Order: sequence, then C-alpha cells, then structure tokens
Amino acid sequence: MLVLADGERHGYAIAREIDAVTKGAVRMGSGTLYGTLQRLVAAALVEPSHAAHRSGDDPRRRYYRLTARGRSTLKSEIDRLATVVSVARRRHVLDTPRPEAV
Amino acid sequence: MSAPQSTAQPSHAARAIARMYPASLRGAHGDEIACFVDELRGDTRFASGIVGRARLLVHLAGDLFASRMPAPRRTRSPLGDPPRRERRLETFLQDARLALRAMARRPAFTCVAVITLMLGIGANTAIFSVVSAVLLRPLPFPHADRLAVLWATNSTNRQLLASIDDVNDWRARTRTFADIGMVRTQSVNLTGAGAPDRLVGSFVTANSLTLLGARAALGRLFTTAETEKGTGQTVAIVSYDAWRTRFGADRAILGRTLVLNGRPHVVIGVTDSAFADPFNAQVWLPITSAPNPNWFQRGNASVWAVGRVRDGVTMDRAQQDLSAVAAQLSREYPATNAGSGALVIPLRDWLVGTVRPTLVIVLAFVGVVLLIACANVANLQLARATGRRREMSLRAALGAGRSRLVRQLLTENLVLSVLGGAAGVLFARWAIGVLVNAVPGGLPTFGDVGIDGGVLLFSAALTVGAGLLFGIAPALHASRARLTDALTLRTGEAGHGRRLDPRQAFAALQLALCIVLLAGAALLDRSLGALREVNVGFDPHDVLTAEFRLPAAKYRSDTAITEFMQRAIGAIRAIPGVQSAALVNAVPLSGNFGLNAYLPEGAPATDPAQEPTAQVNGVTDQFFRTMRIPIIAGRDFDGRDRADAAPVVVVDQELARRAWPNQSAIGKQVTVRFTPVVTATVIGVVGSVKQLTVGEPASPQIYVPIAQQPGIFNSVVARTSRDPMLLAGALRSAIWSIDPDQPVWKARSLDSLVERDMAGPRFAVVLTAAFALLALTLAVVGVYGVMSFTVAQRTHEVGIRMALGARRSDVTRMVLVQGGRVVAVALAFGLVGALGAGRLIRNQLFGVSAADPVALVGVTLGLGLVALAACYLPARRAARVDPVIALRAE
Repeated sequence: MLVLADGERHGYAIAREIDAVTKGAVRMGSGTLYGTLQRLVAAALVEPSHAAHRSGDDPRRRYYRLTARGRSTLKSEIDRLATVVSVARRRHVLDTPRPEAV
Repeated sequence: MSAPQSTAQPSHAARAIARMYPASLRGAHGDEIACFVDELRGDTRFASGIVGRARLLVHLAGDLFASRMPAPRRTRSPLGDPPRRERRLETFLQDARLALRAMARRPAFTCVAVITLMLGIGANTAIFSVVSAVLLRPLPFPHADRLAVLWATNSTNRQLLASIDDVNDWRARTRTFADIGMVRTQSVNLTGAGAPDRLVGSFVTANSLTLLGARAALGRLFTTAETEKGTGQTVAIVSYDAWRTRFGADRAILGRTLVLNGRPHVVIGVTDSAFADPFNAQVWLPITSAPNPNWFQRGNASVWAVGRVRDGVTMDRAQQDLSAVAAQLSREYPATNAGSGALVIPLRDWLVGTVRPTLVIVLAFVGVVLLIACANVANLQLARATGRRREMSLRAALGAGRSRLVRQLLTENLVLSVLGGAAGVLFARWAIGVLVNAVPGGLPTFGDVGIDGGVLLFSAALTVGAGLLFGIAPALHASRARLTDALTLRTGEAGHGRRLDPRQAFAALQLALCIVLLAGAALLDRSLGALREVNVGFDPHDVLTAEFRLPAAKYRSDTAITEFMQRAIGAIRAIPGVQSAALVNAVPLSGNFGLNAYLPEGAPATDPAQEPTAQVNGVTDQFFRTMRIPIIAGRDFDGRDRADAAPVVVVDQELARRAWPNQSAIGKQVTVRFTPVVTATVIGVVGSVKQLTVGEPASPQIYVPIAQQPGIFNSVVARTSRDPMLLAGALRSAIWSIDPDQPVWKARSLDSLVERDMAGPRFAVVLTAAFALLALTLAVVGVYGVMSFTVAQRTHEVGIRMALGARRSDVTRMVLVQGGRVVAVALAFGLVGALGAGRLIRNQLFGVSAADPVALVGVTLGLGLVALAACYLPARRAARVDPVIALRAE
C-alpha cells in the first residue's frame, strides 16, 4: 500500500518498487503479489485503475491504486507504528549492548 | 533492471507457469501473472547465464509454494474461523516456511545439525535394517513361527542329535505337533562326473521337505515310501543353486544317475529357486540312503528333528508334551534312553540365536549415539535460542501466546530433523552395503538386507522422535520469554550459578552417555584380548588341515578303511615341506567333534545316562607332535596300537584330574560308551585343547587310535615348513594317488580356524568401537561448543574482572573450573551408567568382569582428560579478552 501511496502502478512495477524500497529484503513473486492485491481489493483498500493504458504499454497490464479508504487506513497504520517505535525508543528496546564474538 | 519484454502475447513458458498457480488467482490475474513472469525473465538478475536461470527457478518455485499457502489472516473472518485442524495445518505450513528461511540464513548451523542428525539416524537405520532382516522379517517357510528344531538332551548336554527310532516315537506319540520330520546334513562324495567333488548333503524324510515348504521346479520331491523303507531305486533331489552351478542348469538332469557316496542315485527333482533350505543342503537323499547302517539303532544319535506345532499350540506347551514322551521312552528303553530328554527350539532362535545378542547390543549402541546426537543438536538450538530470546520476547509482547511460540520452535526442529532423517536414510543405504559385506560368515538372513517399508517407518519415527527430543527443551527455554526479558536482559547471565544451566546439563548428558558407550566397547575389546590370550592347547601356526569322507559303499570293511588311512598318511608325510602329519576325526575348532559317555576306573558304576561325557577323538600317531600338544605323561600312539592289540587311550589332563585326582592316570582303565562299549588302558596324558570354541572351559578329552576305532570320516593335519596353503594342492594329489575318486575339501590353515572362531567377537568390537568413537567426537564437539558459547557470553564479566586486576591465569582457571564441574557431573553419571551397561552385556564377555576396573577407570580418565582439553581452548580464549574491547560494547 505504501508503494501505491504516490500513484498507481502495475503489478511488476509494484514488485520492483518493493524490492528497491526494502533493499532486496522483500522480493514478491507474482503469486504472492496478486494474492495480496486480491485481498486488498476485496477489503476495498485498493482498486484496479481504469485509466487508459499508456502508449506502447503491454495491454495485459492492469494498474492499481489506493482507494480513499485505503489511503486513510494506511495513514492510521503508519501513525500506530510510529507510536510503537517511539515507545520502543524511549524504553531502549532497540539498543543492542551485546558484544560481537570475543 | 532491464526494460520489460513488451509482447502482446505471453510466451509459452510464462503461460505454462501461470497455469500452475491456484485457480482463484488464475481466474482474476492469469494474464497478469504470465506477463509478470515474462518480465521476470527479462530481468537482469535472472536473464544472464545458468546462474540467473537457476535463480529464476528458485524464485518461481518459492513463489508457487507460497501462493498455495493459505493467506495469513490478520482479522477474524466474519464467517467464523476455519475448522481447528485446518488452522493447525495452516500454522504448521507457515512455521515450516519460516523455519526453512531461518535455516537458509544460517548455513553453518544447519549443516552441523543436519550432519549430526544424519549420522545418528543413518547409523540407526542401517543397524535396524539388519535387525529387521535377521530378527523381525518372517522366515520364508510356511507357518514359520510354528516350526521348531527338536533335540535330544541328557544330563550334561542340552543339544544332541536324536536317534531315528526316538524321532519316530516322538512323531507317533506327541499330540501338539502336526508333523515331525528328520534331517541330517553331512558331506556327500560326488564321483563319476569330472573331478571328485563334495556336496553338502541332507538325509531327510519326505515330510521334512514339505514342512519346510520345498517345491520342485523340475521333477518331484520324495514320496513317503522312498524315505521310509526305500523302494529299491535310490533317488536324490538337487538344490536349485547346485543345479545351476554344478550341473550347468541342464534340464536333462532329471533321470540322470549321480554317484553319491559311491552309490548310484537317480535325480528325480530340482528344488524351486525360492526354496531356502535352513540347513544349506545342495543335494537331498532319503534317510534310507544313510551312509552308516547303525544310524537306525535306538541310542545312536543321528538326526535332527524338524517339527511344526499345531495351530494355537505354544512352544512351551509343545515342549511339555515332547518332554513327557521322552520321559516315557526313557522308562521303556532304559538301556539307551535313561536320563535323556528332548528340547524344542523355535526355528528362528536356532537360526539366529548366536547373532541376536550381538545385534541387540549394537542396536542399543546406535540408539545411544542418536541420543548423543540429539543432545548435541539440542545444545546448538539452545545457543541459538538464547540469541533469539529478544525476538521471542518481542513476539510475546506483540501478542503471541507461549504455546504458539513453542509450536513454531518445534516446527523448526521438525524441519531440521526431517532433513537429517532424509540424509540419514541415504547414508544408511551406503552403510548397509559396507556392513553386510563385513559380517564374518555372513548374516543368517533369507533375502536381502535393505531399506524396506518397515525400516523407513522406523526411520520416520526416529526422525520425528529426534525432532521432539532435541527440540522440546530449547523450545520451552526460548519461549519462556517475558517482555521484561527484552528490556532487561544482559548477556552475562549464562550459568555460573550453582546448578548447571540446560546447555551444560546437555553437555554433561552427552559425556555421560559417551562414557557408557566407550566403557561397553572397552569391555568387549578387553574380552577379545582375554580370548586372544587363551592358550588353545596347540600351536596353530603352519598347520594345514583338510577333510574327506570315504564312501561306505566302497570301503566296506574296517580293514579296507585302515589300509586306505595308512597309505594316505604315508603319502602325505612324503610331501616335501611336510614335517609331520596325522589323521584325526575332528580337527579342533573345525566345528567337528564327538561326544561319548565314559566311566573311569574306580568310579562307582551308575546308570549310563548319568555318566560324564568326554570329547572323544580318533587320531593316528604323530597327532600330538603335529599339533604340538604337550605329552605330560606316558607315550604317544605308535605301531603297537593295532586293531588286534589291547584297546588303549590317551586322555587329557582335565579328565585325569577329575577321574584320578593326585594319582597317575597311566595304566588306569576307562570305559567308553562306543557301540559296542570299549574298556581301554590309559597310555598317555596330554594337555587339554579347545575343541569347539576358544572360550569354552576345559573339558575331559579322550583320544583313541584310529586303527582301533576306524571311521569313514577323517581330517588331515600336516605341520609344514612354509605357508601351509601352498601345500594344499600337493595334499589333494597325495590322496588322489591312493584313490583318484576321493574328494578332499576344506583345505584350510589351522590359524584360519582360530581366527574364524574369534571373528564374531572381533566384529562386535570393531562395530561398537566405531560407534563409541563417533559418540566421542559428537560429545567432545558438544562440550567445546558449550564452553565456547559460555565464554562468549561471559566476555563482559571477564572484561570487568581483568579491568579490576584479575590475571590471565585466574580467568583460565575460572573457566576451567566451570567446565570441570560439567565434566565431573558427567563422569559420575557415566560411571554409574557404564556399570549398568556392563551388567547388560556380561553374557557376551569372556574373562573380564562387567565392572572391569581397567576398562571403566581407563575410559573415565581418558574421557575426562579429552573433555577438559575441550574446555581448555575456550578458557585460553577467555584469558585473552581485551578488557577495553569487552567493555566498549556496553
């Protein structure tokens, strides 16, 4: 959803963007990606875009974008996570005092 | 990334791949998926070379797998939860995926754990496949569990051949047996078909073959008439193997006449290839073709009986029944049967009796090796679990229940053990081949030893069991996570309290189990050493032995036999390189022997059945010299001891001691229960020899001159001036120079007979020692790992100590003391375990006590030192800690 926040994208572009944003830590295959999209669409958080294809584009591509509900859900989720992180910071949960191997 | 392929139509490959996705996805996104795949194929990461393609395949496979997994549910479905079982499976698959990922991230840990489990499970699978084939698999005979071998007994011997008349009475009078047949195997001379040869013959009644389920592949089996009285035509049946190897699989063998033991026999059948004779016969003859007519006298022990108990009758019940009949017979025929009984031994016990204890010991050994392997992996897991405690705490804080965490960790272990188990089965496939070829004398199995369904089931059970065994403690340990742990945990908490922490307890357990195995192997090794020290009573080096049997049909009189023997021994002594030679009925340790009751002069006459028995052996002169058996008193046999001279015997010192303690045996009379009974004068006393096994206790032995008790079966012993086996051909030629039709077999060195007798114990030692060393390696690696880990955890503390002025030696000592506690606990428990294990295997020990101090103390000390050495390396590393570095991390 985060990846769709700045505009609509087609499936492969979403996967590439997630790969780039997470520096390769999350690599989505088509099955995982479309499975997720299917659930997001069903929850009315994301919808297929009916905008015309750009010229020279593969006609099989379908573009996805956030719905209004998706955008507000995303925002509240980010707020919630930010709270968790700030609490964790204050309590030093993320400090790692462990020395490496002797 | 490169520009995506821009094709309107997806490639065939992409369409094929898209079709593999679940229908729910395909319906809505089929085209998109195909397009996606095409774009992936154009991606720079996947497009170049074999590596790229392989990467793509892995990626696609992972994605396909993932897309078939149920989707994670973050919220409760409005339709309610799916059934519990389905939810569990879903969780399990999800955990399995997590586990595979986690393992891939830690290849070193995964490799060590999988190899450890592979060795443990593989060794167990290999040994179990042998156990399964030898002890568990049904024997290939009809109603095999109801078949038994029946023996006669007397007051001193538990397993004797029975007389034919007795077996006939057993068959007629018992009610618990459906049928009883007779079998007697004996070498048979085959002549008139090329070089004279020897076949393993079996003299049988017709019903024996049917009891054992024999079928004829060609021709037919015996009729009852043929084996009861004889029908005028002597007949024989050839085994399938002999038919192929000796007779070129010639179908025309039916009706052909074979000269067996000098008498013509017409071949009436060839057994089926599936028939596995438990007596390993190559040719069957009717019992009416017995080589010796005195087989048919009551009181002459000549046959085994094979019986099948009736359906629903236990072996115990059959034993009672048979004993009652034997008691009746001993009342009816006191002259021959007084004091004799009968013994029922289930066929399987008879076949595998000697192997069973060794197999059970080895199975127990590998079981313990697996326990050690599990402890090892558990320790690896514990070390990891401590590292993951933070992760667990956070997950618990975020709402994961403890059971959920335990389940996740257990799933990881299960995945690990499944990998180990699969590798173990492959390892076992290889190990079984090595094992089966290494067993001396072969295994008493019918069919191949291999990995069948039962073995696989066993391995699967082991795998799951192992996964739980090494998983449960680390899982509980790691899941004992509280939020406060995550917030307050410091790393110096690893056990330096009074009690051992779980890792140290596991290391101690490994060491303790290892002591048990090492002590067991050491006991067996010391037992073998004791066996080697045994004085067999003769000098086995540079002695050639061989066996032959004269055909009774050709050598009808004692004179003819004696004449052959004299000429043969003369020819053998004339062979260049032979220093001395003699003939003997039964070469020591060859498996042959004779037992007779005897009555020494001065002992009160009793019931013949109560008389003591002695091993009786017929020999020619020079036997004692050839064997280097010391003559303690009197003289050797010589030319004076002819057939027509007064009967004489030589006795061994054991008989002389028992019969005439503190007196000279020379000149005393001894009565030997030959048929007819002979009373002879003792002319010499010789040292005792081991006749049946190296480990047997000294028993009374009587030697008679062959000239006075001529028999058709004899062996040659020849002391040679060089490698005895080089003279085997010359020995055959010497005998053939007297009778070109006389087969000679089993040309062997006396040394090889002694070695053969020890092969079983030696094999047990090699196997148990190998497993004990494997266990030692695992345990030492385990202890080293635990101590290293502990030291790493205490780095901070060590840094502080050193900053406050502790010397390096203090630090080393501190760590060594900690390791020493683990070792001390292990040694204490291990010693107790070793004492227990020694008691379990004491029946397999010879000349060594089950609590042999040398073995126990040696093993304990040795292992203690090795374990301390494994602690010393981490201790030294701890002493090198630089306080600045150790404290900077805070």
